[in-house]
Amino acid sequence: MKPVSVLVIDDEQVICDACQLVLSEQGHAVTLTNTGADGLAAIRQGTYDVVLLDMKLPDMDGMEILKAVQEEKRRLCIIVMTGYSSISNAVQAIKKGASEYLAKPFTDDELLETIGNACVDTEQQPTT
Amino acid sequence: MTSPTKFENYFRVFRDILRSIYHSISLQEVFNIVVTKTAEALNAKGALLRILNQETRQFDIGAAYGLGDRYVTKGPVSTEKLLHHPSELHKVKIITDIWHAPRVEYPQLAWDEGIRMILDVPMAIGNEMRGMIRIYLAEPRTFSPDELDFMVTIAEQCACIIERVRLAENQQTHITHLATQMEKMSSLGRMAAGVAHEINNPLAGILLFSSNMSKKVDPGSPLEKGLKIIIRETLRCKSIIQGLLEFARDKPPKKVMEDINDVIRTAMGVVENQFYVRHVSLEPHLAQDMVKTPLDKNQIEQMFINLLLNALQAVEDHGRVSVKSTLDSEKNRIETEIADNGCGISVENVKKIFEPFYTTRANGTGLGLAVSYGIIENHRGNIRVFSKLGEGTRFVIDFPILDEKPGRKEDA
Repeated sequence: MKPVSVLVIDDEQVICDACQLVLSEQGHAVTLTNTGADGLAAIRQGTYDVVLLDMKLPDMDGMEILKAVQEEKRRLCIIVMTGYSSISNAVQAIKKGASEYLAKPFTDDELLETIGNACVDTEQQPTT
Repeated sequence: MTSPTKFENYFRVFRDILRSIYHSISLQEVFNIVVTKTAEALNAKGALLRILNQETRQFDIGAAYGLGDRYVTKGPVSTEKLLHHPSELHKVKIITDIWHAPRVEYPQLAWDEGIRMILDVPMAIGNEMRGMIRIYLAEPRTFSPDELDFMVTIAEQCACIIERVRLAENQQTHITHLATQMEKMSSLGRMAAGVAHEINNPLAGILLFSSNMSKKVDPGSPLEKGLKIIIRETLRCKSIIQGLLEFARDKPPKKVMEDINDVIRTAMGVVENQFYVRHVSLEPHLAQDMVKTPLDKNQIEQMFINLLLNALQAVEDHGRVSVKSTLDSEKNRIETEIADNGCGISVENVKKIFEPFYTTRANGTGLGLAVSYGIIENHRGNIRVFSKLGEGTRFVIDFPILDEKPGRKEDA
């Protein structure tokens, strides 16, 4: 797949570092943020293809960020990550506008595959 | 009755006793009223109410009136002497010769107390004696059949109230036990969910780095082998946590009308091969007349698989496991049973088996029975364990038989 620009929003540094390693090795550009506020500011200022969003952040709920993105940048592709792996959580996130869902813990292949799927879906969306 | 005043008197006693029963003050207060009022109405010196302890088969003192402490606290009484013959359970025994009556254990003491006549009124329900009211009189006199009938009726009322209180207490104990158990389970579940979330984050770090690294090492190198182990074990942690979250989540069952025998057969099919490999026989004894009841097929199947695999684990090669289902039309319940002739569970461990993480297996998660317990709760069922070390274990699970309510969409 062609290189994309990825924003990671997770308060766990180890996950940010791991995502950066895996994604940058594949040629993707990676930006890391550790709080909901920083993440939202980055979304508003920058141009990203994909956001990897942790649902449990210290300052706000991942759902709030999803909502804000829906209102401001509808076409931005969001992949939610959560430690509470359940179908209902995934369904809820997808309903709120997330493109894909990653249940922690996941492997590098799962991460790359999910990003690939999400980008394909976004590319196929009709432009309005 | 002999005279209107006496009749009125008896009526008042009866009314007071019935009121004390229906106003549901404590059993002790009812007994106190019974001995006091009965003794007063009969113009007796005193009365003693004894309750037959069903476990010890001894008579315990329920209440006493008008007797000296010395007499009341006098040692135990011989049960067999006081038991009434079944044919006389609803009759008053009149003792006029207290010196030679076998029923009077301490005649000297009775005489010293000023007792000259004793009436034993059995408290009985049907053919069962529950206790006795002994009435003491200071001088012998005759009693009309109406008076004797009055005494028997009061004693029978006492037997009924004892029975009622006992049933209520048993029920209360059972409910309290269940409530504690459920509270324990749900708090453990909440804690488990929190822990699971915290652990998934570091696990995600481990899994991402190790899976990424394993691609960079030379194939076949010791480093690759080590990394593969790290990945495998991390994935194992993931599945343990998923099981835990499954347990913690209060998922409402999707119930549809099912024949439990079909569910049991499916569960047996799933584990069949594992039993075959270990040469353990799996014997079904399923009720022919089984009826359908709303069940979540997947959940109940999971529960049976868990219990069957536990049984398999408990028995040695060539052991025996049986699965039984019976229909109790009278109680409107389905009873199922999984029994093995394996190693059994010790008394201390029986208390722990439903707790999450309790396991005797090196690679067990300790969630099988905890999850099964939750499933049974979700179906308003009960699970009981009977086990003896070295002899085997029997799990008995019963479910209510319910009609499918029209218009109710549990699986919506």
